[in-house]
Amino acid sequence: MSEFEPKIVAFVCNWCTYAGADLTGTSRIKYASNVKIVRFPCTGRIDFMLLLKAFAEGADGIIVSGCHPNDCHYTSGNFHARRRWVIFRGLLNFMGIDVNRIQFSWVSAAEGAKWADVVNGTVTAVRELGPYTQYRKAADYLAQQDQSIIDGQEAMIIK
Amino acid sequence: MEELRKKAAELLQSGEVQMVIGYEEGTRHPRPCFISSADDTAKLIYDDRCTGNLAVYLTHKELIGGQKIAITASYFALRSILRLLTEHQIQLDKLVVLTVSAEREVIQFATTDDITAYLQTAPVPAREDDKALIEKLNAMSREERWEFWSAELSKCFKCYACRAACPMCYCTKCIVEENRPQWIQPWASTLANIEWHINRAMHMTGRCADCGACGAACPLGLPIHLLSHQIVQEVTDNFALDVNQAVSGDNALSTFKPEDKENFIR
Amino acid sequence: MSKIGVFICHCGENISATVDCEKVAAEAGKMDGVEFATDYKYMCSDPGQTLIKNAIKEKGLTGVVVGACSPRMHEPTFRKACAEAGLNPYLCEMSNLREHCSWVHEKNEQTTEKAIDLVKMLVEKVKKNKPLNAIKVPITKKALVIGGGIAGIQAALDIANAGQQVIMVEKEPSIGGHMSQLSETFPTLDCSQCILTPRMVEVAQHPNITLYTYAELEHLDGFIGNFKATIRLKAKSVDYKLCTGCGLCTTKCPSKKIPSEFNEGLGMRTAIYTPFPQAVPNKPVIDRANCTYYQKGKCKVCEKVCPTGAIQYDLPDQFITEDIGAVVIATGFNVLKTDFFPEYGYGKYADVLTGLQFERLASASGPTLGEIRRPSDGKVPKKIVFIACSGSRDPAKGIPYCSKICCMYTAKHAMLYQHKVHDGESYVFYMDIRAGGKNYEEFVRRAIEDDGVNYIRGRVARIYEKDGKYIVKGADTLLGSKPVEIEADMVVLATAGVSNPGAEELAQKMHVSYDAYKFFAEAHPKLKPVETNTAGIFLCGACQAPKDIPETVGMASGAAAKVIGLFSNNELTREPLIAVVNRSAPPVFSTCVGCFMCQTACPYNAIEREEIKGRDGSVIKTVAKVNPGLCQGCGTCVAFCRSKAIDMQGFSNEQMFAEVMALLNE
Repeated sequence: MSEFEPKIVAFVCNWCTYAGADLTGTSRIKYASNVKIVRFPCTGRIDFMLLLKAFAEGADGIIVSGCHPNDCHYTSGNFHARRRWVIFRGLLNFMGIDVNRIQFSWVSAAEGAKWADVVNGTVTAVRELGPYTQYRKAADYLAQQDQSIIDGQEAMIIK
Repeated sequence: MEELRKKAAELLQSGEVQMVIGYEEGTRHPRPCFISSADDTAKLIYDDRCTGNLAVYLTHKELIGGQKIAITASYFALRSILRLLTEHQIQLDKLVVLTVSAEREVIQFATTDDITAYLQTAPVPAREDDKALIEKLNAMSREERWEFWSAELSKCFKCYACRAACPMCYCTKCIVEENRPQWIQPWASTLANIEWHINRAMHMTGRCADCGACGAACPLGLPIHLLSHQIVQEVTDNFALDVNQAVSGDNALSTFKPEDKENFIR
Repeated sequence: MSKIGVFICHCGENISATVDCEKVAAEAGKMDGVEFATDYKYMCSDPGQTLIKNAIKEKGLTGVVVGACSPRMHEPTFRKACAEAGLNPYLCEMSNLREHCSWVHEKNEQTTEKAIDLVKMLVEKVKKNKPLNAIKVPITKKALVIGGGIAGIQAALDIANAGQQVIMVEKEPSIGGHMSQLSETFPTLDCSQCILTPRMVEVAQHPNITLYTYAELEHLDGFIGNFKATIRLKAKSVDYKLCTGCGLCTTKCPSKKIPSEFNEGLGMRTAIYTPFPQAVPNKPVIDRANCTYYQKGKCKVCEKVCPTGAIQYDLPDQFITEDIGAVVIATGFNVLKTDFFPEYGYGKYADVLTGLQFERLASASGPTLGEIRRPSDGKVPKKIVFIACSGSRDPAKGIPYCSKICCMYTAKHAMLYQHKVHDGESYVFYMDIRAGGKNYEEFVRRAIEDDGVNYIRGRVARIYEKDGKYIVKGADTLLGSKPVEIEADMVVLATAGVSNPGAEELAQKMHVSYDAYKFFAEAHPKLKPVETNTAGIFLCGACQAPKDIPETVGMASGAAAKVIGLFSNNELTREPLIAVVNRSAPPVFSTCVGCFMCQTACPYNAIEREEIKGRDGSVIKTVAKVNPGLCQGCGTCVAFCRSKAIDMQGFSNEQMFAEVMALLNE
C-alpha cells in the first residue's frame, strides 16, 4: 500500500465521547482503523503534555473530544479544558507547531455517527498533511548532532 | 533617589522592616541588593535601567525568613506581587511595597487595590526590541516560525536561569524534576528544550507579569520571554482579561465562562 | 516485576469475525511483563471468568487485561471476578476490542494490528496500576431542610416519615411560604390554605422534626454525611415556653401601621405579630425595627397585657450547632415588584398590582376577605387587565427566561375575578399561552370559553392614569398589530418569578453554585435535577427555577428520596477513583506549594487546606488536600497542577503516560 496511513491518537472523556464511540460500534458504523482511543474520566483531566508526547512518539494527528458544553458529567471539566486548549493552540501556533493536526470536538454519547465522521475527517486531513516528521526529527537526539562531532568522539575514545 | 534612600533608612531605623530589597549600581547594569542596615541605604538607586523583577526574592524563604521586607518594585514587579498574593505565596502584612513613579515620587502602597489602581494609570514601560521581533514572527509562515523556534531552542542548554529569574517559578518541585513519569527528558536536545519552554509558558497562563525577566536572564539571549508574552496575549485576546486583571484575579485557566470562544472545536 | 495476564475474548464472533484473536493473544504473550495470555470464546461467561480466576491464582498475576467489549459494559464484571480470585479489582483493566475495533473496522491485517496495540496500551497502563480500596465515609443520619414553604414541608415530612431526623429552618416567624398566601390553586381551584395547613401542623407535631422558625443558616462546614451547621435563632422577644398564643398582645400593640408582608403590603400588621391566623407556630414575635419600645425606649404594652409574662425584651440572637448528614435547600422564590416596570406606572399606581398581591385580594383570609376591591378607594373594579410575561422572556429587562407559572395563575386570576365580579370585564394580554401540564390547557380554555375572559395576544406598551382610570395601551398582534386601549380600574402584572434576595449569599455559605439569575444550580440539568454539585446538598422547589406546586412537591419528594437513600447505610461507599495530593518525605512533605488555584478549578469544592505541622506544633506549610467525601474524580485539578502535586487514582499521570507511550512505540 503506497498511500500514507497516518497514526491518530484520540484523547476522549469517559462519559460522552467514549460512550459515543461505543455507540458507533453498536451501530456498526465503519470508520478508518488509524485511530486509537485513550480513555480519560473527563476532558478536564487531559494533560497538554500527553499531546506533545503523542506527537514526539509518532502520532501524525490527535483528536481531543469530550462532552458538549453544559453536558459535562462533572459540570465544568470541558469548560476548563476548552480554556486550556485555546491557550495551548495559540502557543503552539506561535511556535510553528502544526495545530491543524489536532482536532478538537464535542461528541456526545448519542453521536455515534458524528464520532465516525470526526475520525474519518481527521484521517483525511492528516493524510493530506503527510507524516509529522518535522516534529519527530526534533525528538531524535542523535540525528541532531553533527556527524563529525560524533565521529570525533569515537576517535577520542579509541585514543 | 534621595527620597527613596530616606524612606528606606526610616523603615529600617524604626524597625518596621528588617530588610530592604532594592537595586544598586553593578558592573554594567544595576543589580539587586539586600540592605539590613540604615547605614547602607546610600547605595540604593532606582531608575529606568532597573528592570530586573525583584519580586522573585519574596518567595525565597532562606533569604526572607520570618522578616518583614520592604521592596522597591518596578512596574512589572508590582504585577508579580499581586499575583503572589493571590496565590498565597506572600503576605501583605509582612511586606512594604514601594515604587518610584514616573514623576520620581516614592509611593508606598497600603492595599492591593492601591497597587491595581497604580498599574492602571502608570505608563507601561515599553519594550521596543520585542515588538519588532514579534512582528517579524507573526509575518512568518508556520514553517518559518518552526524553523526559527527549533533553531533558537536547540541552543538552550537547560541552565534554568529563566526559571530562577521568574517570580512565578516558585514550585518546590518543578515539572522538569518530576520523573514519575519523566514528562520532559532531562538532557538538552531540541525537543526536550521545546517541551520545557512550552511547559514554562503554559504554566504562566494568567500569572505572567510580562516582565521579560526570563529572556533577560538567558545567557544565550534566546527570546524565550516572547513565549510567555504570547500567553499573555492569548489570555487578553481570548478571555478579555488584560494582564493586570489576569494577575490580580482568579486564574485564567482555573476559571471559565460558558461563552468562551470555541470556533476551533468541531 | 509485573506478571500481567491478558485475556482476549472472541465475544462469540463479534470480535473474532474481524480480529484474529489467536494472533492478538499470541502477540500479547510476547509483551514485556506479560506472564500469561490466552483467548476464549466468551470471557464474560462463567467458564471464561473461571479461566481468569484460575490464572490469577496459578500464575500469581499482578494485573489483568481483558480484551473484550467496552469497559462501560463489563468492567464491573471482570473487576469482581479478579476480586474473587484475590486480586485487587483496580488491578484489572479492559481493552475495548469490540465497540472500538471489531465492530467499526473491516476484516484485515490493520484491524488485528490495532487490536494488538489496544491491548498493549492497557498492558502498559495496568503495570502502573495500584491497588485501591473503596472509600468509606461515615454518615450522620440527620437532615437539615432550609426553608419551610411547600417544598421544605414536603421534603421534611418525607424524610421524617422514613424514620430519619430532620431539622427545619425557616427565616420567617411561620412556615408556609408563598403557598400559604395563595387564594386558590390551579387547575382545580382548591383552597391553598385548606390543603397546606394540615401539612404545616404535621411538621410542627412530627416527633422526628425539629422546627426552628425565625432562624437562618449562619454557617455550614464539612462534607457529605458530616456537615456541621450553625443556625442563628433570631431573637423573637417572646419566650415560647411561656407564650400560649392567646394573641392579646397583637390586638393591644399600638404600632398598627406596618405593611403586612403576608398581605404583600395590602394590609397592616402590628409590631408584635403572627404573620397570619393559621401560622405555625401560632405565637408572635416582635419586629424590633418597627417596635416603639426598641426604637424609642418606651411602650412595653405587650409586656403589660401578657397574662403569662412571656415577653422578654432583652433576649439576644442565639446560635446553635447541629451535626447533620445532608442538606435540602428549599428556600423558594420571589416575584418582581411593580416598580420594576416604569412604563407600567413606576410602582406609583396603587391599583397596579403583582400577581401575588392579587392572590391576597382574592383570598378569603386576605385584607378584603376575598372581595376584589381596589386598594386605592375600595371600589370593586369593573374592568380589569392582566398582563402576562411582565418581565419574563424579556432579555432587554434582563430576565430572558419564562417564569412558567404566570400563564396559569393569570388564567386563574381572571377566572376568580369573573366568579366574584359577575358584571366585570377581564382582559389578559399575553405573548404565548404556556399551559403544559395535566389539565392545564383545559383550565385556560375554561377561563376563555366558560368564564368569558378576553385574551389579547400582544404586549402592553404603557399604562397611565386618566380621570381615575388606568389607560392600558397595547396592541393586538393577531389583528395585525391593531392598537388596543382599555380603560381599566385595576391592572395585575404577572411579574416574573425571581430568586430570593440573599440566595447568592446562602449559596456561597454552602459552597453550592448558582446560575446567572441567582437560582441554585442543579448538578446535572437532566440526570441530577435535585442534587447540587456539592455532594450531600440537595435542592427542591422554586429556589432552582420558578415552578408550580405539583412540580415543587415532586422535586421535594425526589430530594427527600435522595436523602433517605443516603441515610439507608451507616457508611457511604465510594469508588476510589479520586484525586489525591501527594505526600513526600521531609523537608518538602508535599510538592504542593499551596497556590490553591486548584480550589478555583474544582467543581465540587473538594479541595481543602491542610496545615503540615512540625514536632513543636508550628505550621511548616499549608498545602491542598482532597476531601474524599466530596471529590467526584474528574481530574481537572490534576491536569491543572503545575508541579504535579495532585494525582488521580486509577487515571494517574504514570498510568496515562505509559498508555500513550505504549501506543506508538515500535
